[in-house]
Amino acid sequence: METSTIMSLMNMIATQTDAGITNETLISASSLIGAGICMGFGAIGPGVGQGYAAGKACEAIGRNPQEAGLLTRTMLIGQAVAESTGIYSLVIALVMLFVIGG
Amino acid sequence: MIDIEPQVWEMLGRYIGAGLALGLGGLGAAVGMGIAAGQANEGLMRQPDTQGYMLRTMLIGQAVGGSPSIFALVVGLLVLFLPSGRLEGAHFAAAMVGAGMSIGLGCFGSGLGCGWPAGKACDGVARNPRHTTSVTSSMVIGQAVAQSPSIFSIVIALMLLFVVTAPDSVLLTFGMFVGAGIAMGAGALGPGIGSGQTASGAVHGTSRWPESAGLILRTMLIGQAVSQTPAIFGMLVSFILLLGVGDVPLGMMGLAVTLGAGISTGLGGIGPGIGSGAVGDAACQATAAKPRLDTLILRTMLIGQAVSQSTAIYALIIGLLLLFVF
Repeated sequence: METSTIMSLMNMIATQTDAGITNETLISASSLIGAGICMGFGAIGPGVGQGYAAGKACEAIGRNPQEAGLLTRTMLIGQAVAESTGIYSLVIALVMLFVIGG
Repeated sequence: MIDIEPQVWEMLGRYIGAGLALGLGGLGAAVGMGIAAGQANEGLMRQPDTQGYMLRTMLIGQAVGGSPSIFALVVGLLVLFLPSGRLEGAHFAAAMVGAGMSIGLGCFGSGLGCGWPAGKACDGVARNPRHTTSVTSSMVIGQAVAQSPSIFSIVIALMLLFVVTAPDSVLLTFGMFVGAGIAMGAGALGPGIGSGQTASGAVHGTSRWPESAGLILRTMLIGQAVSQTPAIFGMLVSFILLLGVGDVPLGMMGLAVTLGAGISTGLGGIGPGIGSGAVGDAACQATAAKPRLDTLILRTMLIGQAVSQSTAIYALIIGLLLLFVF
């Protein structure tokens, strides 16, 4: 029952497209959407995390301005580490765009 | 083989679009107004004498913070009852779903964001009733700026309702319209929440150190402006998707390219928006406590925000690569 519904939905989509869907198109298309999803979700964590680190640095500099240099340096190192997962997402997204999708 | 008639497509689009618009768009404002009411009660418990000021501040905060949900209501009603003259069938459905996605997610962020400054203002009125006026005005300015992402998302939703023209390919149309909705809606979500958080830090600082109100206002406005960059990226990609897509492939590949670009730019803006807002929050409170350190704190805030925006820029680059290289 369910399989036949899905099959007829697929049929309907296929008749609505301008060119028929081949296996190659399906693979490239999924890897292009996948690149978008990968970078989109991958960007959420580093953004929040780096903001949290910078917020704490502002707070600390407000309390102890003599150590501003040390605090800024520590903040930047922490942020660079938090950036790493964002860069992994970027790399995977680029691989999906240019190696699989292209 | 199922044969869906054009009228059925149109109803499908209207119902899903209106559900997304009101379901998501009402959620944020409702939580935000609840935060304000909760803080007002907490404040009245400590200082029952301030009830006159408190009621006024709470109602102003809730009224301003509730406006994103009214934007969502207006667009939701348009999505339900707009006559389908220009677009037909599945094309119309795609435009309605995109409009609902844009306005729903965008108003969710701003509505939630506007609740925090309102709550902090109620807390501040109980803490410092003599400075109710400066606390309330700082709250209203912060809330007004925190609403600009929801205004961007209205622009995109109204474009989807009244301006856009659809290509022949149904799949490409779906990708363009829903992709633009996600890029704008999710792109506005983070900046709305983040700007609200920055405003709540500023209101808290103003209530504790009313004498540094001017410096706090400056830090707040700069912080909010930077935290709204992801919303601008989202709007840029939505405009490209709705108006400027020249030679994207048709059919399945077109769907992949346009939807992928929208998802990447939109979701990629959530984290940087929230993160930059958290930096602004801390910077406003630090400026309030130590006004003579304002330039040092401002510099640290801007460096921190710039670094936390980097992933939004990666997401924008992936989105633009999808649109212009494939």
